[in-house]
Amino acid sequence: MCTSIFYFFLAGLLALVIRAQLSQPGMMLVGPHQYAQIFTLHGTAMIFLFVVPFALGLANFLIPLQIGAPDMAFPRLNAFTYWLFFFGGITIFSGVFVNGGAAASGWFAYAPLSEIRISTGEGQDLWIIGLLMTSISGILTAVNFITTTFLYRAPGMTMWRLPIFVWEMVATSLLILMAFPSLAAVLAMLFIDRHLGGEFFTASAGGNPVLYQHLFWFFGHPEVYIMILPYFGVISEIIPVFSRKPIFGYTGLVLSAFAIAGLSMGVWAHHMFTTGVVTNGFFAAISFLIAVPTGVKFFNWVGTMWRGSIVFTTAMLFAIGFMLNFLIGGITGVMVASPPIDFQAEDSYFLVAHFHYVLGGGSLFAIFGAIYFWFPKVFGKMLSERLGKWCFWLLFIGFNTTFFVMQFLGVMGMPRRVYTYAALPGWGNLNLIASIGSLIMAAGVLVFVWDIITASLSRKHAPDDPWGGYSLEWWTTSPPPEFNFVSLPPIRSERPVFDAKHPELAKEQPG
Amino acid sequence: MRSSRLSLSAGLLLATSGCGVYALPPGATMQAQVLRQDWIVFTLAGLFVAVVVFGLILIPLVVWRRRSDEYPPQFRRNTKLEITYTIIPLLIVIVLFAITYRNEVIVKHLSPRPAGTVEVTAFQWSWRFHYPGTTINIVGTPQAPPQLVLPIDETTRINLTSSDVNHAFWIPGFLFKRDAIAGVKNSFDLRPTRVGVYLGRCAEFCGLDHALMSFSVRVVSRADYNRWLRARRSSTISSTKGGAS
Repeated sequence: MCTSIFYFFLAGLLALVIRAQLSQPGMMLVGPHQYAQIFTLHGTAMIFLFVVPFALGLANFLIPLQIGAPDMAFPRLNAFTYWLFFFGGITIFSGVFVNGGAAASGWFAYAPLSEIRISTGEGQDLWIIGLLMTSISGILTAVNFITTTFLYRAPGMTMWRLPIFVWEMVATSLLILMAFPSLAAVLAMLFIDRHLGGEFFTASAGGNPVLYQHLFWFFGHPEVYIMILPYFGVISEIIPVFSRKPIFGYTGLVLSAFAIAGLSMGVWAHHMFTTGVVTNGFFAAISFLIAVPTGVKFFNWVGTMWRGSIVFTTAMLFAIGFMLNFLIGGITGVMVASPPIDFQAEDSYFLVAHFHYVLGGGSLFAIFGAIYFWFPKVFGKMLSERLGKWCFWLLFIGFNTTFFVMQFLGVMGMPRRVYTYAALPGWGNLNLIASIGSLIMAAGVLVFVWDIITASLSRKHAPDDPWGGYSLEWWTTSPPPEFNFVSLPPIRSERPVFDAKHPELAKEQPG
Repeated sequence: MRSSRLSLSAGLLLATSGCGVYALPPGATMQAQVLRQDWIVFTLAGLFVAVVVFGLILIPLVVWRRRSDEYPPQFRRNTKLEITYTIIPLLIVIVLFAITYRNEVIVKHLSPRPAGTVEVTAFQWSWRFHYPGTTINIVGTPQAPPQLVLPIDETTRINLTSSDVNHAFWIPGFLFKRDAIAGVKNSFDLRPTRVGVYLGRCAEFCGLDHALMSFSVRVVSRADYNRWLRARRSSTISSTKGGAS
């Protein structure tokens, strides 16, 4: 988790350089080759070294606690996956120091651009090897999660009493097991093309560049849900605690997670609407359908808050920010899932805005919510609620300032991944607004760093259950002892700790 | 309350039609009119969903803040309601899909007898426009972007490919793009409806000078088009590598 935050800072700094470069037309802060390395590393690090590993790290901590287990099923495998991920990240970034610089063909590295004839540098190879390491790390971690959840639950913790976060991680792990092998395969094929004379993706030698896109997105779209399902879980843990009610529509939330996971295996070619070689209608239909279970989740969260007693902690603010931002990401997502719209939006700043609303406004806000919620449990120290609220408002305002205007830029015709642009009417101003927003976000992150430093240095210990939590991690000490628990409460619903503390309210017993 | 909500939605409608749906270009081809319709439908549907769901999220935040230590009613489910809010979004996306599917069929339709054809080849980092049956062959550079000339109110078939990495042929003013991929011949029709010059650019990242890989499209009347064809034919030999016309 901490390592993924470190990579987040690196990738965030790269994003600031991108915004500085694009703040005005014709800026020459960095050259085109440097710019290509920067956006490649920014995308790669945010996705593979931050958003996914943070979820895996959080789940590593939480799954055993939430199911009442002493540890993960395979602790040594667990340590191995961490080091694979850590050195994978180092390998990708080490490209900066070799001849020709780091990989510069974007985070999806389309062949033939990433082939050796065009991307001659070793940076591309380091990128392939580093990603292979992180993808193997992901696969092994998923095996560990599934085994732990199915075999290590405490007595009384039936599947239908699992916290929603654990369910979402089961769905995520299944997706990892289905999608990551495709990534490993396509990376291996690219490496064979580059160094062993393969011609998988070379049209002139009988290969097919479209094959690369199919294999990559067969992984790449489930990957999007691998990056969001865990955070749906986080939100589903935070909202009920601070609405002081049980989660609404538990069964619907679980089923919708698996509906999303299942459907997401059949939407990969919506990244390829403009290639002219896929059946757009089919992939558009499945993509639209994903909006339904996602909508169910939103209504369940609203149902949880409805007639509740809402406490505005920092974690809750981030959960609310998540919902507001992610809704925009979801709506623009349905828009770009319509091929006629995609014909304009694909590879434009409209798309950049869309996926940042999903991953930045969505996943990132849930990550901050998770940190403010579970920091006391992990480190035994309380973060400051006052600084936390500053952090939230700066990030929320900065985020929307940066990315809302990008929708307009995209529709007006600004393509992504350009290091400069012509001074067309409105473009300079909109880009300047976006860049100012990124500075506001940076201020929010600084407040967060300050909060972490002061909390870590403080002598004050966090209580075991600062929020009136529901799931088993709030039963044990902060931080938990070795093997997690000294004792366990009886488990008769999905919120055993609440039931134990408020027996008079523990009426209904599902599962 | 009711009237204020009405005026709010009316305001949103005005706002969208006023700045023309997300500052969308008006769309200068027959196909773009269809694409534009898709944008309008989806933007209005999106605004509707946004207003409803934002409202549903914000109402509890205002109405049910914590006021005492009392726990609120601990209800967990309402199956009828849950089924309802599964079915309503399902119906919405079915309608949206029907619209999207119909529009895409129109846009992708290839005329059996196009009035003209242009072979477009993308390369790092410019474009080649070849008019088959003539010797017209316009090759650009990043510094001197090429210009494609199309007659108004006639269907021109574009056959698109790439000679190296993936590119994408994007004319924002036509609300349309298509990928250029080596080994793939992508065909589509353009039927311009407004005279003018439109910017085009590569949309798929293709290496160092991707940002400079632009071109332009000049839509002219039939008479001007014939004049241009004659002029190009006579000057072809001297300007095969000529760049912008």
